[in-house]
Amino acid sequence: MTVDLNLVGAKGAIAEAAEGKWGMSIDQDICTGCQACVAACAMENNISFVGEEDAGYGRSQHWIRIERFWEGAYPEVKATPFQPMLCQQCGHAPCEPVCPVFATPHSEAEQLNLQVYNRCVGTRYCANNCPYQVRSFNWRDYHTIPERGNMVNGTLVFPLHNQFNPDVTVRRRGVMEKCTFCIQRIHKAQDKAKSEGREVEDGEFTTACAQACPANAITFGRVDHPESLVSQLTHQKRGEKHLEELNTLPRVTYLKEG
Amino acid sequence: MSEATLLAVFEDIDPAANAIEKLHELGVTDENINVISGVPVAHKMLGRPHPPTNVSRLSMGGAIAGFLFGLFLNFGTPHLYNVPVGGQFFTPIPPGMIILFEMTMLFALLATFLGVFLDSDFPNYQPMEYVAEVSDGKIAVFFRCAQQEALKITETLNKLGAESVRPAEARQL
Amino acid sequence: MAVASKYLPGAKQAHDTHHEEEDHKQYLMFDPKPRGEMNAMVMESMHTTSWKFWVVFGILSVIVAVCFFYAWGYMIAEGLWVAGVMRPSYWGIFLVNTVFWIGISHAGTFISAILRVFKAEFRRPFTRAAELMTTFGLIQAGASIFMHMGRVWLSYWMFPLPNERQLWPNFHSPLMWDLLAITTYVLGSTMYLFLPLIPDLAMARDRSTGWRKTFYKILALGFRGTEGEWRHLITAMNFFAFAIIPVMFSVHTIVSWDFAMAMRPGWSSTVYGPYFVLGALHSGMGAVAVVLFIMRTTMKHMDYFIRKEHFDALGKLMLMVTFAYTYFFFNDYIVQWYGGDVATDNLLHWLEEGPMAWMFFQMVAFNIIIPPLLLWSKKIRQTPWLLALIGIMINVGMYWERYIIIPVTLSINRMPFTWKLFEPRMDVFLTIGTFSMFLLFYMLASRLIPLIPVWEVQEGQMAHSLRKVGKAHVPTLSDFE
Repeated sequence: MTVDLNLVGAKGAIAEAAEGKWGMSIDQDICTGCQACVAACAMENNISFVGEEDAGYGRSQHWIRIERFWEGAYPEVKATPFQPMLCQQCGHAPCEPVCPVFATPHSEAEQLNLQVYNRCVGTRYCANNCPYQVRSFNWRDYHTIPERGNMVNGTLVFPLHNQFNPDVTVRRRGVMEKCTFCIQRIHKAQDKAKSEGREVEDGEFTTACAQACPANAITFGRVDHPESLVSQLTHQKRGEKHLEELNTLPRVTYLKEG
Repeated sequence: MSEATLLAVFEDIDPAANAIEKLHELGVTDENINVISGVPVAHKMLGRPHPPTNVSRLSMGGAIAGFLFGLFLNFGTPHLYNVPVGGQFFTPIPPGMIILFEMTMLFALLATFLGVFLDSDFPNYQPMEYVAEVSDGKIAVFFRCAQQEALKITETLNKLGAESVRPAEARQL
Repeated sequence: MAVASKYLPGAKQAHDTHHEEEDHKQYLMFDPKPRGEMNAMVMESMHTTSWKFWVVFGILSVIVAVCFFYAWGYMIAEGLWVAGVMRPSYWGIFLVNTVFWIGISHAGTFISAILRVFKAEFRRPFTRAAELMTTFGLIQAGASIFMHMGRVWLSYWMFPLPNERQLWPNFHSPLMWDLLAITTYVLGSTMYLFLPLIPDLAMARDRSTGWRKTFYKILALGFRGTEGEWRHLITAMNFFAFAIIPVMFSVHTIVSWDFAMAMRPGWSSTVYGPYFVLGALHSGMGAVAVVLFIMRTTMKHMDYFIRKEHFDALGKLMLMVTFAYTYFFFNDYIVQWYGGDVATDNLLHWLEEGPMAWMFFQMVAFNIIIPPLLLWSKKIRQTPWLLALIGIMINVGMYWERYIIIPVTLSINRMPFTWKLFEPRMDVFLTIGTFSMFLLFYMLASRLIPLIPVWEVQEGQMAHSLRKVGKAHVPTLSDFE
């Protein structure tokens, strides 16, 4: 799918072609709000543990969060379905053009929003311009707060460093980060398929959140393949996308009230 | 024939203008006269020719250079390393207007500033003919004339109301 | 009239004419002094330094060392968590300060460029004081931008330079436009400050000794005041006066675009450009009033140069700017209110009923309601301390305005789950640091730079005279330029 971005009207052309490549569907009707996806994501992507106080103030760094709402006033409250929120990997991402240093470009090959940690200078404009508020900033080097380490033979040792995922960069303070659709897993699967001389099959791999979901509410895969599971779920009648009116072309479909 | 450089100090514009007129009559040409003043005095008031300046030409040159630099930044650099962002064009025109405007203005202003330096020979810390009274609002006319006429001219200028007429000597400012 | 004149004896009439001339003496331009005397007064005002100056100077230096340099260094070493920024207020007080200081800086250009282009004569004695505010304000604005960055040590990646793979910065980004515009403005306004300063530096060079002599000699560049030098200087100043006006408008418009280009409720507004420009002038004029008051009360001989007429003229300007600002303010909010977009509605409810409602209504009172009520009165306009007080009030109001536009507006977005109110933390110290640094620079400049452009005042006094028309003496201005 190549679109000449220099053509007048290219935005519209993209909009039509922009099913995207990788997509996700989240079934809110079966989501139990158990937060397993949040935990799995944190393990997979080396997300900082910011601690109670900072998380309470709004500095949690989770790439996926479970939003919980209710309707009405106490005591007549009615809970609405849980709403897992993560980067929607927009086709027209508002976060991308505002970065002064191209730290958040668009991948044409994978149709994903990339975040280049070592290019980021921390202006945080992308996070302001994200209508989904899913970008998280490294306010501090949470991985190496001295009070959280153990002094062993005169050197500080951080036990949690032992569970870092070697496939994912550990981010330092002052850079932005966000959900990558587990791009390391995508690449691993593609490499494996290539070495075996085949295409990546549907369901061969999935993201950490989808893998961890006990209710199978999250499905990940190729939305541009009509026969894939995620594509079929996405095109159900009850599928809807968040803030579609902003023309962001989100790649995550929420299934609700089927 | 040796030449003398004299410096006549005047209180006001009128006597200075008269003196310059007299100097012309006495055969001192405009190229051999210069006026130093503490406030800008228009050349018309003293009956002097319009002093040439390159400053506006340099501003124009700067503006053109800035415009070209802006063109390069907005329409050139994206081709050196192509990064697609947000479904926008690689070389968008509306933001380009801003880049072009800012760069044009920046270079034009810098060139103007530089123009003052180039045209006026700034900075110049060499000894020069100068009298400090000038910054007290007086007008100093300094001119070059033949040695033998110096005395005659001095007398004439004194009659015209010069506060002092003396040989100009270059001194450290 | 005939009846009235019957009762007026001839002697009284003569007295009236005399009185009229006395009235005109209230104006600096009609009360000329010999240039030498004015030079001496300006030099003396630079040299006369009381112990109080050094006490204030010392205190400010300590504050700058602690609240600016130490606090910033600590923040760089620790990360931005020491400041109040968080999700959803990713931008906090640092950008409030940036917008505020850029706003302050607009006054200098407005007074020295627009009033120069339109030949408003009251500008003459305080163009330099206002231009210094531009330069020093922009320094604080620039520092605040760098404070705000997560990895400030890599800020040079935003400069228009390629990296080793020929990757240049992203010119789609409003922040890049901002960087280029602010750079243009800083350089432009500093050069524009320096050009009219050269003759005054030459004046100071001619009448000082010791280290000051060396200092002025270097800065005066060997200026003598020859016809050619004046001509080049004035050509350049004319060009600057015209060229810097669009640059000034573009700078604050682009600053407003940092917000207006974003898809945020409350920010995405097409009127933001002119609204911000007027807001900048609003706070800038107020700041000029404060600076003039401080100059007049603390520096020697300044009551000769800065008079009631200047405060009066400034008060009128403030009144006009208040009206214009009110117009844009109303325009912005009524369009947002009428639109009925749900996110914007939430925001407006938050502003008027939320915990920061006090700030919103104080802003309306300080910026829009109180200034025009007071500035109508000539008596108030001509009372320097009152005008300075109004200036401070407007600046508090304008600071609140920026605070509401950035962290308070950011609290509300399209994802209700993340709504959260910003709390200022160490940003407060850094704010105090930038304010102290501005004052410190200004105090230092008042000892080193002739704050009154003497040659411009003399030029004005030469151009002004009283012409007799019938029985009256009418102020007359000759157009020398």
